[in-house]
Amino acid sequence: MGIGLSASADNSAGENGDEADRLAALEAYGILETSEERAFDDIVALIARICDTPMALVALIDRDRQWFKARYGLEMRETPRPVSFCEQGLDEDGLFVVSDAAADPRFADNPLVVGPPHVRFYAGMPLVTDDGRRLGTLCALDTAARPQGLDSRQALAMEALAGQVMAQLELRKALRERSRTEERLRLALITSENVAAWDWDLVADRLVADARFAEFYGVDPAVAAAGAPLETYLHRIHPEDLDGLRAAVRAAVEGGGRFEHEYRLLGPAGEIRWVQARGACLSDGEGRPTRFPGAVVDITDRKLAEEERSQIARAQRLLSQELSHRIKNIFAVVSALVSLSARQFPESRPFAENLRTRLAALARAHEFVSPSPIGERSAGASLHAFLADLFSPYAGPDGRSRVLIEGDDATFDDQAATPVALLFHELATNAAKYGALSRDEGRVRLTAERRCDRYVLEWVETGGPPLNGDPMRQGFGSGLATLSVEGQLAGRLERVWAPEGLRCTIDLPARALSRRPDATFRAETSPESVR
Amino acid sequence: MSARILIVEDEALVALELRFQLEGMGYGVAGVAADAATARSLAAQEVVDLALVDLNLADGPTGMSLGRELAGQHDVAVVYLTGNPDLLRDEVAGAIGVLCKPADEAVVEAAVDFALRRRRGDRSIPAPPAMRLFG
Repeated sequence: MGIGLSASADNSAGENGDEADRLAALEAYGILETSEERAFDDIVALIARICDTPMALVALIDRDRQWFKARYGLEMRETPRPVSFCEQGLDEDGLFVVSDAAADPRFADNPLVVGPPHVRFYAGMPLVTDDGRRLGTLCALDTAARPQGLDSRQALAMEALAGQVMAQLELRKALRERSRTEERLRLALITSENVAAWDWDLVADRLVADARFAEFYGVDPAVAAAGAPLETYLHRIHPEDLDGLRAAVRAAVEGGGRFEHEYRLLGPAGEIRWVQARGACLSDGEGRPTRFPGAVVDITDRKLAEEERSQIARAQRLLSQELSHRIKNIFAVVSALVSLSARQFPESRPFAENLRTRLAALARAHEFVSPSPIGERSAGASLHAFLADLFSPYAGPDGRSRVLIEGDDATFDDQAATPVALLFHELATNAAKYGALSRDEGRVRLTAERRCDRYVLEWVETGGPPLNGDPMRQGFGSGLATLSVEGQLAGRLERVWAPEGLRCTIDLPARALSRRPDATFRAETSPESVR
Repeated sequence: MSARILIVEDEALVALELRFQLEGMGYGVAGVAADAATARSLAAQEVVDLALVDLNLADGPTGMSLGRELAGQHDVAVVYLTGNPDLLRDEVAGAIGVLCKPADEAVVEAAVDFALRRRRGDRSIPAPPAMRLFG
């Protein structure tokens, strides 16, 4: 292995992964190829003086070279990495001293020893980041050998000043990052019409903001650019939103987290501007909140649109309630008209009565399916509840219902209301005239069952007058029931005239009663009984 | 002397049919009012035993408070008639109950009979099923 020659592949900084990290860390400081700076120059001059050497360097180890940020007593700016003394120091934990390079097998053949600048004595302190990455060294060099090395005072100075070099590097890095952030913000501002940005120094309570922000918040742009306390910016906040905003800011500062809040600003003429503010509260290494940058976006248009939408929804609800009231009223008027007309034509009374009860059933069904005045969309009416109501006039002398409703309930909507009303009205009326309900002891059992995609109802009459096959009277009534089931509901209606009473089967597609996909079919645990 | 009934309803046709029904049952109709003000003045001038009161009148949804007034100040048995039973969620002090419109003649008859009996303190018969009672 060549004396003083260390190839990058066999580097003393460890594995290739570590070296890549080290280089990345060095890169992050943005120090390579920068010009001379007073802070670093002063340090090398000082260390040369303290160590009594003609040369001193701040050396940074790059991929293939060592580059000098500051030089005292040396013209060259860089050397290839293999000839670097400092390279050796990267492995060391602290001060690395070479008393006589010419006598040291590692360095005797080194061009920097053999030729200019004829280094004989070298003392270097590694420059180490907080996370242990070695960037380079602060070193002092002499052309004469120095068997005694550095004394304790000089060694202490090396350590302290190496620390100072690192502090300077960190400072540059922080400033560089900050100006990059500012650059990004500036770019964001340029590309966006409505973004107003701020940066709040929490420690000094100094909030710096751009021109647009200043405009929103009614602050002189010069004052905003220079920075002013937070309170300066709050006078345009809508009074109702002020407390909420303060609380949100406090939460972000104390919780050290993201900040997002919507509030109103008042313009000079009292006009309202809705804004959304977003930012983040940043802390220092010890968790103390230090900076709170962010940006504000005008969202007035969006808020107005939302307000409009909810107004439209309100208006729609009112309209739908209006309509519902009108429908109910019309039924009442039509019913009255029918009765009044019948009074003029006494012979038409049976007809009028028949018509009136059909209308009443219709009215009731539509009332069941109409939306509630509270304004919520009704989920559809319960069939069993409607039927219980429809059959209530047929209650027995004890007040109990004579139509027993059992099985799966269903919801029905406005489209099904008419056929449902007419069908069951006919069944009940006919039962009352000729069937089970014409006798006190007569009963009807109505059983409902959901079978796959069908909904099947069985109407079974008992206790009525005995039947002898098909009754003579078919008439419009039965036709109306059939029309409702087979026409409007697309189902099947079947009548069987058993001796003990009519058995009627109504077989409907499950979707016939309600178009809603989530219409329910619930099993009932006990049969319906009426109040 | 048959009972006198006040009809408070803004749909003229509905009111007229009600009048015929009531007179057919043998009751007297004290008057027909389409709004609360007319109803109040009729109640002040006439003998009224029972009032059938619609919730929505010509002057708005004034039926509810009118019924309360008639029951409280004029000792009238009040039965509300409405197409919107949901409007009357809470009970009204003094009123007897609610009927849904359109109510058929038999229901009206039973309700009127029940209400008049109640007013006399006669609780011998149950309320008709179609009537929602208060209290």
